[in-house]
Amino acid sequence: MRAGPSQEEIRRYNLGTLLRHVHLGGPTSRAELTSRMGLNRSTIMALTADLAAAGLVREELPRETGRAGRPSLVVRPESARIYVLAFDVGVDRLVAARVGLGGVILDRRESVRQRGTFDLAEVISTLAGFARQMVRKTRPDTVCVGAAAAFCGAVRESDGTVHFSPNLVGPIAELPFGEELSRKLAMGLPVAVGNDANLGALAEHTRGVAPGCRNLIYLHADVGIGGGIIAGGHLLGGHEGYFGEVGHMIVNPGGRPCGCGSRGCLEAEVGERALIDHAGMYGRVGREAVRTLVEAADRGDIAARDSVHRAGDWLGIGVANLVNIFNPEVVVFGGTLRELYLGSAAQVRTQINTSSLPAARANLRLRTTALGDDVTLVGAAELAFTQMLADPLEMLARVSP
Amino acid sequence: MTTPVLELRGIDKSFGPVQVLHDVAFSAYPGEVTALVGDNGAGKSTLVKCIGGIYSIDSGEYYFEGNSVTVSSPREAAALGVEIVYQDLALCDNLDIVQNMFLGRERKSGLVLDEATMEEMAAKTLAGLSVRTVKSLRQHVSSLSGGQRQTVAIAKAVLWNSKVVILDEPTAALGVAQTAQVLELVRQLADKGLAVVLISHNLNDVFAVSDRIAALYLGRMAAQVKASEVTHSQVVELITSGRSGTLGLTNGSGS
Ligand SMILES: Nc1ncnc2c1ncn2[C@@H]1O[C@H](COP(=O)(O)OP(=O)(O)OP(=O)(O)O)[C@@H](O)[C@H]1O
Ligand SMILES: [Mg+2]
Ligand SMILES: [Zn+2]
Repeated sequence: MRAGPSQEEIRRYNLGTLLRHVHLGGPTSRAELTSRMGLNRSTIMALTADLAAAGLVREELPRETGRAGRPSLVVRPESARIYVLAFDVGVDRLVAARVGLGGVILDRRESVRQRGTFDLAEVISTLAGFARQMVRKTRPDTVCVGAAAAFCGAVRESDGTVHFSPNLVGPIAELPFGEELSRKLAMGLPVAVGNDANLGALAEHTRGVAPGCRNLIYLHADVGIGGGIIAGGHLLGGHEGYFGEVGHMIVNPGGRPCGCGSRGCLEAEVGERALIDHAGMYGRVGREAVRTLVEAADRGDIAARDSVHRAGDWLGIGVANLVNIFNPEVVVFGGTLRELYLGSAAQVRTQINTSSLPAARANLRLRTTALGDDVTLVGAAELAFTQMLADPLEMLARVSP
Repeated sequence: MTTPVLELRGIDKSFGPVQVLHDVAFSAYPGEVTALVGDNGAGKSTLVKCIGGIYSIDSGEYYFEGNSVTVSSPREAAALGVEIVYQDLALCDNLDIVQNMFLGRERKSGLVLDEATMEEMAAKTLAGLSVRTVKSLRQHVSSLSGGQRQTVAIAKAVLWNSKVVILDEPTAALGVAQTAQVLELVRQLADKGLAVVLISHNLNDVFAVSDRIAALYLGRMAAQVKASEVTHSQVVELITSGRSGTLGLTNGSGS
């Protein structure tokens, strides 16, 4: 029989939980932490003191003292001091950011990526260069406590190897992306890597449109379409972490050919190429092209409107399948699916209402991302903070000079 | 089932000899967006003005949080927590954003607020709604884009802790990008727990954010249905003919 957790384990767990509250909820009063964590006042005081001594949080009087009476001290994350490096490798862009505890983007660098062959060395050297520029500008007392990247392809989460991505011409072989980026950064930190849509799901679930929601599906369109599924509060990982290739769910058997070799995948019918081809806008690519197309549809351009409606129908069928299987509380549309959903919600809803089980869809909420184009980057930052939040003092000891 | 914050039953309203609303029932629920749809002249704006106390109702019942109330002026509606962004009169052009957000409220609350406090409260409200496009709060409203004007009008509703916010065609004059922002703001208001009523002719906008859809047809409520239970073409039929299959008005109704 296993013995119960030791005092030390309990303390470590509580420190992590308190820090997570402040990280996700922002400045929080001691009184509120006491009631949220179900611990007594003196324990909260001791935990806060430990975290403050380590320089992770700061206690101060609340800014606005509108009401009379003694204000409770507020515990704030040390956002300017404790940070992570977050990276986003999209089909068309590379982003690196320094994100402070509490989720504040402190600094960011972005560059346009040319479509075509994925050159691992070049991508890594750009990202590492951005990181160095940003780190060089920080004050001496700042501490980097983690690093993570969102990647627009399949990822083996156990070791950050990236794999198979029909929209990045080139790599069919496995690429040790996390390992290489970590080496190039030379900060003694591992770089965790996650699929972009999976990290989008994590971002919406932690600080996006549905914080704390335990059953959420995030659908993301960049060029292709990906999905992240949170079921029962956990991000589904699948065998070796390959999961969330929702874009290759078949919605239209025998339909348009897909980059994966199949036909009629969600991505083939709803992705950027399908939208642009159907609207007759050959040669245009990227987020801006999709946004222009949705605007043209709204202004009454018939080809554009038909293309948007057609994609909305297939998207609705895809969502109906997901709703039947997972019974999510919320489905979130991000990337260019935000514009597509808002431009074709009548079609999307109609298909869901005709093709899914009434009980599964009755309380379904459909939402657009609350994090805009930064959703995948925010997800990467949350992934980077994971270890820190699991054991704050141990992590700090490991990374402090 | 949750109880509606706002519930109307059997509302009749005539202008002289012309009866515009016939036996109308309508409910709005906390945390939900209820779309109010109907053709031009169906009576949407009239119904909203009855709710807002601009028009008095000829007969019918008005319940707020389960209690029967009479609302005979905009002031009484505001006191209940009903905020309306009208199609025709939303903001005062010659006042700045802060002044607009506090317009008509200075005396009611009894407390005198200094300019700095008002500006801070306005700024906090806009930030809480993730509104970042407004440059200065001291900008005259006349210099704002259509989307920004709607945003300020909506923020005003939030600032005053309204329970019901009614928006009469907030996206009618907006482009795609601004419409998207206003729709997301509408959704956010409801997700904060308010009951939101959205009037729109754009069924796409309606399906994008609504939990329920109420369709008026020639001054009669054809149906109030959940957005998870109807198709686009059913809503079109309710709007254009007052019925769709088993939904909607039956031949004898309202006579
Ligand atoms: N003050 C008034 N006096 C007389 N008739 C009125 C008045 N206000 C509205 N009406 C009439 O009542 C009917 C309903 O008008 P209302 O403005 O409520 O329609 P609506 O559904 O809001 O239409 P729209 O979509 O065009 O805004 C119309 O026939 C209109 O002419
Ligand atoms: Mg009207
Ligand atoms: Zn495919």
